[in-house]
Amino acid sequence: MDTDPIVELENVVAGYGAMTILNGTSFRIARGAITTVIGPNGAGKSTVFKTIFGLLRPRSGSIRVDGRDATKWSQRELLAAGVCYIPQGRNIFPELSVRHNIELGAVAAGPELKDMPARLEAALDRFPALRRKADRQASTLSGGEQKQLEIVRGLLLDPKLILIDEPSIGLSPLMVQETFTLLTQWRDKGASILMIEQNARSALQMSDYGLVLELGQTRMHDKAQAILNDPQVAQLFLGGVIGGAGAV
Amino acid sequence: MANFVALLIAGLATGALYALVAVGFTLLWQTSQTINFAQGEFVMLPAFFMLAAMHAGLPFWAAILVGLALSVAILGFAFKRLLVDPMLRHGVLPLAIATMALSTFLKESVKTFYSAEASPFPSIAPDAYLHLFGLSVSWQNIVVLGVAIAAVVALQFLLQRTRTGRQMQAAAQNPTVARILGVPVERMILYTFLINGALVALASLLISPIYLAKFSNGDTLGLAAFIAAIVGGFNQIRGAIVGGLLLGIVDNLSAAYISTQYRGAIPLCLLIVIILFRPNGLLGRAEERTV
Ligand SMILES: Nc1ncnc2c1ncn2[C@@H]1O[C@H](COP(=O)(O)OP(=O)(O)OP(=O)(O)O)[C@@H](O)[C@H]1O
Ligand SMILES: [Mg+2]
Repeated sequence: MDTDPIVELENVVAGYGAMTILNGTSFRIARGAITTVIGPNGAGKSTVFKTIFGLLRPRSGSIRVDGRDATKWSQRELLAAGVCYIPQGRNIFPELSVRHNIELGAVAAGPELKDMPARLEAALDRFPALRRKADRQASTLSGGEQKQLEIVRGLLLDPKLILIDEPSIGLSPLMVQETFTLLTQWRDKGASILMIEQNARSALQMSDYGLVLELGQTRMHDKAQAILNDPQVAQLFLGGVIGGAGAV
Repeated sequence: MANFVALLIAGLATGALYALVAVGFTLLWQTSQTINFAQGEFVMLPAFFMLAAMHAGLPFWAAILVGLALSVAILGFAFKRLLVDPMLRHGVLPLAIATMALSTFLKESVKTFYSAEASPFPSIAPDAYLHLFGLSVSWQNIVVLGVAIAAVVALQFLLQRTRTGRQMQAAAQNPTVARILGVPVERMILYTFLINGALVALASLLISPIYLAKFSNGDTLGLAAFIAAIVGGFNQIRGAIVGGLLLGIVDNLSAAYISTQYRGAIPLCLLIVIILFRPNGLLGRAEERTV
């Protein structure tokens, strides 16, 4: 579907212990676009991200990132290639300050990153709550604010490819909107975004492409509009045709 | 009153020593879930490294450096690579049991190959008393307190104020997320073992002039560090410091005002009281780990 994809999976087989979750998963993700992955619980969506990011090693198959074989890359190599991964759930360091949490987003660039203070200030400016609580322990943030912290931390090194797993969970509708706007801005600056979302309708509405994953395999991969209009998808994942937005 | 203050200072000095050992113990737990039951023997052993170096003809100061280096290399690096890494693959409990075996091994080795008797150990402090405001405080206590405080302050500075220190904290608080951000988690864990090697060497240097160097010194020290860590909340460095100081003071005051006979029982009573009323320790929180 795409001749110059940012990420490409080819027949990836992976799982936990003896259990196989990705059963020959293949797809090519478009460069400079937002692609939303939807699918039932347990379909293996998060497992795909863990496998791309080297936390889970494929038993067979290959992963290419930005045209290079990334199947055996370490997290540091992935970060150096401009990939960032913002996992599902809470992923902060509770006893470090908000500022120091965000600063850790630049670890991969090493100590020679000169404009670090400017980047940090820009990140704090993105969300007023983070600025206000910059010197407090990160555990004092609300759930939504913690997610905002994770997002600005992930964006600190200007990634080329953003893997973001269910950013809207636990966020107020306003915060979801802010997050989606931020991702769209990043896409407009040239980044490629691969996002998993339960909030399928609103996510697809702001996406360029949609990908339906089922039992660890690509069931459908098309323009987001086409996925939104597909009657079968609508029934299964979008909570009917009308008023499905915001359903979790 | 003067007597009480002198006892308090002696208690603080003992407590500062316990705190050093408990802080190392807590660090290992935080970064690698190692419950080091050999921590007491880790404090006993460096004194013998230093004694052996002096027997080989080195002056005291050089022997201290050799002891410190050997302690970091053996009780830090080798301990991590040869015992912790292989055992941790089997789980936290097998590792804890292996450290118990190590504690016996170290004790018996010193007894067999060095001496079963207590050996005198030189002190870095002058053998004199400081007279101030009608109090007389031993230089021994002042030096112990000073060195321990300096060590803890240096450690806190490293952990809070440097990038590497914060990466160590990140690796301890959430290793998966630390790895995702590119923190070299394995290296950070190794650093904590090296730091523990240095802390126990320091504690050994400070405590051996008081108790003499003896193969069985680790018994009470290990227990004290363990209790101090639990009293302080087990998963917090600040907690280990408070726990160590508290234990040292209670230890000294009870020996003076109650009876030396019950001295061994007092720390355990303190432990029971704390566990009953504050199950997560004085400063502790419930453990929470995600991802
Ligand atoms: N660490 C793990 N160990 C063992 N099994 C796991 C682990 N993580 C996930 N699984 C299993 O793998 C399957 C796929 O999980 P995955 O998290 O990829 O699903 P998902 O599509 O992201 O679902 P959700 O919408 O619930 O997030 C599930 O059956 C899950 O129980
Ligand atoms: Mg998931």
